[in-house]
Amino acid sequence: MTNLQPPAPRFQIPRRLFSSLEGVFHEEVFFLILSVFIGIFSGLAVVCFRLAIDWMHLALLGPLPEAHGWRLFAVPALAGLVVAALVMQVFPSIRGSGVNQTKAALYIYNGIVPFRTAIGKFICSAIAIGSGQSLGPEDPSLQIGAGIASALGRWLEISREKLRLMAPVGAAAGLAAAFNAPISAVLFVIEEVIGRWSAGILGSVVLSAVSSVVIVRWFLGSEPLFRIPVTTFKRPSELLAYAVLGIVGGFASVAFAKSIGYLRPRLKALPRWTQYFQPAIAGLLVGLIAFMGAPQIMGAGYDSMDQAMHGQFAWKMLAILAVLKILATTLSFVSGAPGGMFAPTLFIGAMLGGAVGDIERIFFPHLPGSTGTYVLVGMGVLFAGFLRVPMTSVFMVLEVSGNYEIIVPVIVANTFSYLISRSLQPVPIFDLLTRQDGLILPSLEEDREETILRVEDAMLPVPAIILSGQDYVDANARRIQNSPDTIFLVRLHPGGWNTISRDQLQRLFQEGKGEHTLGSILPPQSVPSLYPDLPLDSALRYVNDYPLVPVVNRANFRQLEGVISRDSVFKQYGSRPAR
Amino acid sequence: MSWTIPKLLPRSAPVILVILTLAAAVSFAAVSHLVARFTANQQARGRTLYAEGLTDAGAAHYNDAIAAFRAALTCDPTNSQYQLSLARALRDSNDPRLLDEAESYLLALWQRTPQDASINLALARVAAHRGSIEDATRYYHNAMYGVWNSDPDVNRSKARIELIQFLLKENAPAQAESELMALAPALPPDPAAHLRAAQLFAQAQDYSRALAEYREVLRLDPANLSALIGAGQAAYRSGDYATAQRYLQAAVNANPQDADSRQLLATADLIRRTNPFHSHIADAERNRRIIAAFAQAEERLTECAQQTGVDLKATTATPASPLSALQSRWTAAKPNLARLRSAAETDLPDALMDIVFQIEQQTASTCGQPQGLDLALLLISQKREAASQ
Repeated sequence: MTNLQPPAPRFQIPRRLFSSLEGVFHEEVFFLILSVFIGIFSGLAVVCFRLAIDWMHLALLGPLPEAHGWRLFAVPALAGLVVAALVMQVFPSIRGSGVNQTKAALYIYNGIVPFRTAIGKFICSAIAIGSGQSLGPEDPSLQIGAGIASALGRWLEISREKLRLMAPVGAAAGLAAAFNAPISAVLFVIEEVIGRWSAGILGSVVLSAVSSVVIVRWFLGSEPLFRIPVTTFKRPSELLAYAVLGIVGGFASVAFAKSIGYLRPRLKALPRWTQYFQPAIAGLLVGLIAFMGAPQIMGAGYDSMDQAMHGQFAWKMLAILAVLKILATTLSFVSGAPGGMFAPTLFIGAMLGGAVGDIERIFFPHLPGSTGTYVLVGMGVLFAGFLRVPMTSVFMVLEVSGNYEIIVPVIVANTFSYLISRSLQPVPIFDLLTRQDGLILPSLEEDREETILRVEDAMLPVPAIILSGQDYVDANARRIQNSPDTIFLVRLHPGGWNTISRDQLQRLFQEGKGEHTLGSILPPQSVPSLYPDLPLDSALRYVNDYPLVPVVNRANFRQLEGVISRDSVFKQYGSRPAR
Repeated sequence: MSWTIPKLLPRSAPVILVILTLAAAVSFAAVSHLVARFTANQQARGRTLYAEGLTDAGAAHYNDAIAAFRAALTCDPTNSQYQLSLARALRDSNDPRLLDEAESYLLALWQRTPQDASINLALARVAAHRGSIEDATRYYHNAMYGVWNSDPDVNRSKARIELIQFLLKENAPAQAESELMALAPALPPDPAAHLRAAQLFAQAQDYSRALAEYREVLRLDPANLSALIGAGQAAYRSGDYATAQRYLQAAVNANPQDADSRQLLATADLIRRTNPFHSHIADAERNRRIIAAFAQAEERLTECAQQTGVDLKATTATPASPLSALQSRWTAAKPNLARLRSAAETDLPDALMDIVFQIEQQTASTCGQPQGLDLALLLISQKREAASQ
């Protein structure tokens, strides 16, 4: 990404026009309105993107891939050459899924996703996915949305702070449109793109996601991605069966992530000229897998997922398809062909879920769950294990299935999958890809592992002597005579705190102010107080200015819980191991 | 290469919003046009594939039809007709694994138009494939009372007949009979429809209603041979041998090669000639028939005993053997034949014939269905039994 720009001027509302609307269009409100437009434009772009993929697929492979044997391997190979040429010569920054690039735009490139990247992603992903590379349209849609949002933000010259947020807002719109699932898109963007819980951006992300989904449904209908079969969960004992699915899914996720993590840097390290052929070779191999009897693994594979959901494949076929899809997606992705991993992840999860469910029912025929139920749960399992987005994985299944009855199986299976994946593959796949690209970006998983220091961790006990602002200076001076402390906390009336040093108090006494109350002499500005549960970082802004900062009870601010000082805070940070 | 958007427009929030709105409207219109063209092309392609699928389905090449319908649906995913045809092909492929998918397509369609009779009928057939009487009956009823695009009365009758056939196949004659009773009054004055109903009544073993329907057919089409045969058989099964004789005679006259009807006619004739309880015969004739029946029963008993290896004359005959017990009863009753002429012995004919009937029934269950006079006696016994019940 070399398209860095100097800081954009802050957005200002001209006062000479529409002065009556001046108060309405401050930047926050304008940003929310802009989010709706981002959603609309992203939705329109994703509609065109989906049409482009469909058109490519029909033009290159025909409506019935089985009927055109030779095309199965010739088309992805030739299309791979075209895609590689475009990526190498015209759109160098569009390799991969696009999720990391969007995240990098947020944290490194001031929210700038070059519009050229969005266009390149559109064209090359449509060719790659339409020709049968084992990749999905969701991640590219996310980047296309981010690109549109970023371009709009730059055109409008909004503030740098807001421009940074444009990328995730557009990303949510793009993903929601591609997936027809606004809640999952919002959660994914928070979990994976923003990597932090941020209330400030949530409204905009939701607005853009919803508006893009409305646009997509307007044009392409509100049909769900799959025809959801009847799903059932009757007995708690069934959870054991779903736990097994979670365990199998966890290991499959690790195998998938490790294969990508191992192959990708090695292929990237090959001479540059080989990158012109890598997508073609990947396409050829994927095509050969299809030609040898598994055309289901080509492209996103939603039709096959739908068929698996309705029990059309025997468990052996389901298991074979899951393994072959891992292989095909790894080949396609590491070759540098632009495309996403959402749909392949769902595919693998669906096939694995169906296979595990069918095998379990062979041994335990009384299990009531249908194949469709296992397929749905399997999708969530791979989402949780491979993409490592536990919240999204649960809501994705609920949103896709529209059935809240399976929430418990989904949570149980996803938990097992997530824990296994986390223990065997400590770095999540998107973080791994980012690090392979030489970047380190924040993530929610990182936050989860981080121990947050709080004020209570650095808190010292309540001092033995607390001076009163209502007492006379000489009385207070007498109280501290035998104390070894040099700084004292003063309780003010009717409320508030202050501090005074032994020297200051003695000086006041020597100046003949012993007959004055301490509160009347001290400066009126009191020392701010803190609460025990606040992050310790929040104390840093006070400990340099005040030698002692009181820590009070939230329910009774007059009740002192302890105090903190600069030394006690630094001591806590010093005792904490470096990350 | 730098791709930047020209900064030609004023930076006023309301103006920007107006510009964005206009841009959105223009983009919307452009995408609408694009989608419309793409959809039109896809729909045309879908229609071609659908036609191929229909041809394949018509030739019972269901796998090819399924592939074609699937391809048509990729071109036009929301087309209800394609979905319905695919569901039908999936169902008719006789692959149990495809039934789920067929059902899911149909349920999705049903949720959109629950009143559509075609969808309900297709769902009923899926349920019938699964052998689910409850679901099939519900969907067949939905189809009967649903909305048909053409010929609603005919289609409703066909749906009910299909339900009746399914119920009979699933051995639920009581439910089938109740459906038949609902069907009969609504039948059009069409011999074929009444003939079908009569046959179904006969399958449901409601022979009197079957006979009524056959008579209706004969009223509409007096020369209908199937109705003549059916009426004869229905009358025969219901024990109305005089009526059976009349219809079967007409059937045999119309088609002398009809061996089955000829056989039934002979049996019906024999029954009429040998039944000692016939109401219009003299006492002497009744006694003669009883004596003949009594002798015939003994013959049948002896034959059956030989066939099964039971020695009826042996003194050590197993007391538990039903044939030996009947032989003992027959031997004990034989002297009573002489008292048949006595006017005081009013219960004797019944007592003697009771032994005859028991012998015929027992030998039928031990040695198989009899023929000739034994068959006539067996049928008379069954009719008497049914009448007494």
